[in-house]
Amino acid sequence: MKLFLWLRYLRKKKIVFLSIAAIALSSALLIVVASLFTGFINAFEQSAVEALGDIVLDPPIKFAKYGVFIQRLEQVRQVKAATATLSGQGLLHLGRGNVRAVKLLGIEPERRAKVTGFKQFLHKQKDLPQGPSFDVQGLPETLAGFVGIGVMAEPDEKTDEYDFAEIEKMVGQQVVLTTGAVSKAQEGTSTRGKFKRKTVKLTIADIVFTGVYDLDKRFVYLPIERLQRILYPNQDGQVADQIQIKLASDAQTDVAMAQIRGVWQVFAAEQLGWGPYLILQTNIATAKQKQSQYVVELRKQMGVLLLIFGVVSFTVVLLILCIFYMIVITKQRDIAIIKSCGATSGSVALIFVGFGAFVGIIGSGIGAIMGYIVTKNINTVEEWIRIIFGLKLWKSSVYMFSKIPNEVNWDSALPIISSAVIAASLGALIPAIIAVMTKPVNILRYE
Amino acid sequence: MYKIILPFRYLFKKHISYLAFLAVSLCVFIVVVVMTVMTGLVTDFKQKNHRYVGDCVVSTESLVGFAYYEDFVNILEREDFIEGISAVVKSYALVSPKGTEDNIGVEIMGIDPVSHSQTTGFGKTLYYRKDDVSKAFKPVYAPERNGCVVGVDLMLMRDAKGRYAYRASPAEMAFAVSCFPLTAKGALAKAGTGLVNTETFYYSDISHSGLARVDSSLVYLPFERAQLLCGMAGAVKRANVIHIKFKPNVKLAAGCEKVASLWQRFVEERSGEKRADLLEKVTVQSWKDYRRAFIAAMEKEQTMLTVMFALVGITTVFIVFVVFYMIISHKSKDIGILKSIGVSNGDVVSLFSGFAFLVGLLGSVVGLFAGWLFLLKINQIEDWLFERFGFQLWDRTIYAIGDIPNRIDLKVLGIIILSAIVACLAGAFVPSRQAARSAPVEALQVNPV
Repeated sequence: MKLFLWLRYLRKKKIVFLSIAAIALSSALLIVVASLFTGFINAFEQSAVEALGDIVLDPPIKFAKYGVFIQRLEQVRQVKAATATLSGQGLLHLGRGNVRAVKLLGIEPERRAKVTGFKQFLHKQKDLPQGPSFDVQGLPETLAGFVGIGVMAEPDEKTDEYDFAEIEKMVGQQVVLTTGAVSKAQEGTSTRGKFKRKTVKLTIADIVFTGVYDLDKRFVYLPIERLQRILYPNQDGQVADQIQIKLASDAQTDVAMAQIRGVWQVFAAEQLGWGPYLILQTNIATAKQKQSQYVVELRKQMGVLLLIFGVVSFTVVLLILCIFYMIVITKQRDIAIIKSCGATSGSVALIFVGFGAFVGIIGSGIGAIMGYIVTKNINTVEEWIRIIFGLKLWKSSVYMFSKIPNEVNWDSALPIISSAVIAASLGALIPAIIAVMTKPVNILRYE
Repeated sequence: MYKIILPFRYLFKKHISYLAFLAVSLCVFIVVVVMTVMTGLVTDFKQKNHRYVGDCVVSTESLVGFAYYEDFVNILEREDFIEGISAVVKSYALVSPKGTEDNIGVEIMGIDPVSHSQTTGFGKTLYYRKDDVSKAFKPVYAPERNGCVVGVDLMLMRDAKGRYAYRASPAEMAFAVSCFPLTAKGALAKAGTGLVNTETFYYSDISHSGLARVDSSLVYLPFERAQLLCGMAGAVKRANVIHIKFKPNVKLAAGCEKVASLWQRFVEERSGEKRADLLEKVTVQSWKDYRRAFIAAMEKEQTMLTVMFALVGITTVFIVFVVFYMIISHKSKDIGILKSIGVSNGDVVSLFSGFAFLVGLLGSVVGLFAGWLFLLKINQIEDWLFERFGFQLWDRTIYAIGDIPNRIDLKVLGIIILSAIVACLAGAFVPSRQAARSAPVEALQVNPV
């Protein structure tokens, strides 16, 4: 009978559709906001994994013999691959009047491709069967590098897309790079090595387009050995300042990190002669942990925004209260008849609270569908806003990524849907109490 | 008279109208708080950008710069609507603190500190030489040496409350600054001889503009030194930017237009001269256009937030609709009597519109008052939350935000109140029209005994 009454009220009382619409609108908005924020956070964390691998080892100072360490690391069952990097800063003269401040990253291209998603970001080499390489055909001794797409050009102001045809023309061209080289300190003195400018010619071997604006805008990748010779010309052997590690697919992160720390402690003590202080100063963290400070901040902002919209959406409770109050007042005869037939107060209350929940389920269900459609097509929506209003809402230079993350976050959507159903039931509670208090004799005696 | 009495009567007698009133108050409260904070952040950001660049900017994007800037500065100086002019050299450089292996890529700006302070807010961003900007590039510990002013985030860390740990005087530090000197054609000027220019500067002051990107990547150098470093000090000297400040009574658009026409005439006069081609790439922009890329992002976020509030606010319209629908259906006799004594349909609509206006106005006033109270204490609330639970709305070690803005913008306030009243009128419109169309005979014939 309850279901019959719910469907009847729904059919007869068109005003109920207003509460359904309000619930749907609020749920959809909250789901879209939560999904976009979570999508952004996930993309942020994923970009770190794709750029750095699963685990990153950061010693306090640069270290030698990284080849030996990588070899030992790769013997650990939990580790799939590892690679070394060496970083520096430089100034790049790309052409007439075009100078950029850049970050230099010395890499082992083949190993890096195994640890990170590096190969797929290379414009020319991503589809080649072999691993990425800095080699320039016919010029084995030439210093070649991969240059971030944002270093060479800015995305279009209106479309936020790069002109690949124009950028491709830069591949194979020679540019000038200046950076600092550290000369060796004199033996037997306490003075540090002298810092001098070093300028070299560099051939652009490929373009790197990660889709992460900050990486594309700043980085120039060079062979690690060549960069070492530029930065530390008097240093013998291999030098690196970071190790990036890819874990095996079945690896447990905590176990792997403990094992990596163990291998590092033995290596640093045996091979580098480091004392406990330097060893303990080495930071071993997952790529996600390295971003945790920003992720916490982003999650906090998402929470605040959802709270604000949640409070505003609380008006839905008031709306349902109004509508259900009206239904109860106009349907007092129904209630009186039901009660006179022997229905308990609990059953009467359940009719209205249940109807509230029913409305909440329908409203939040529609809201979830709307939220899903909007989130999944958010890039198309944004494109249409640009075409119609000329307003480019999402720019990689501001929001880091070239595309808006469009994955629906069901973990957030489910609590939102549940809250909507609870809010709708809550809104129906006072009218239900009024219905319970209805005295059949008072209502029906005039008949 | 009934149009005044009845709305008040309905408001106080019909308790259901409190719900509409509550919904309006709640929405106005939230919108006032959020929009005040958001508008405060955007306004503050705009002001900082305005102070950073002055009113008008004559600039080229190319690092080669443009020639004859001194002649154009002379022309501008003769104009009575201009208060300050500052020619600037801009480029990228590698900066290395002496005695370290650090090597940082930064933006450099060659300025004359006095004219730049007259034109922009540069002087007020300094810490040690705020009262005598002419000495901005004279280190306290060695005034005879060339100094440099460093962006605060390059030198100091922020604490949890966003404060910097300033020292009583600047530490004695030397920086090797290297640039690619460029010829007027953009090629490397020192091809074959090391390619870069390097000069040592001593840390003389800190600049805190409040703009994160500026404070974390900008080093100010003396104009002439920067010109030499960048290869712009040849026979035909070059600069990249001229910042201009207008006199207080000059409107921004009018001032920029005058500068643009002066520039146009100047370019025509110089056409055919050596390096005149560089003048063609120069643009004249207001500070808003010059910093558009940075400001637009925040303005868009504000717009998005407004749109989202408008969407959620539709619920309020629904509530008002339902409340009015209920009141009107219960007051059909009142309406019948009013119409039977000759009240027109329009008057019935205006009666309920007046009631809606009252609900909107009173709801807005209460919401506004609650919002004002909350905003008044918002920074104390945040401090309390931080001390008790470690919660901050923005982590000040990450974001260059000081106190939470809490100054209510009257324009925004007006828009919010107006929107609340319009929402109430929109919600009440359909029920009012329905009431106006009802026939008195039908309304009055109910409940026959």
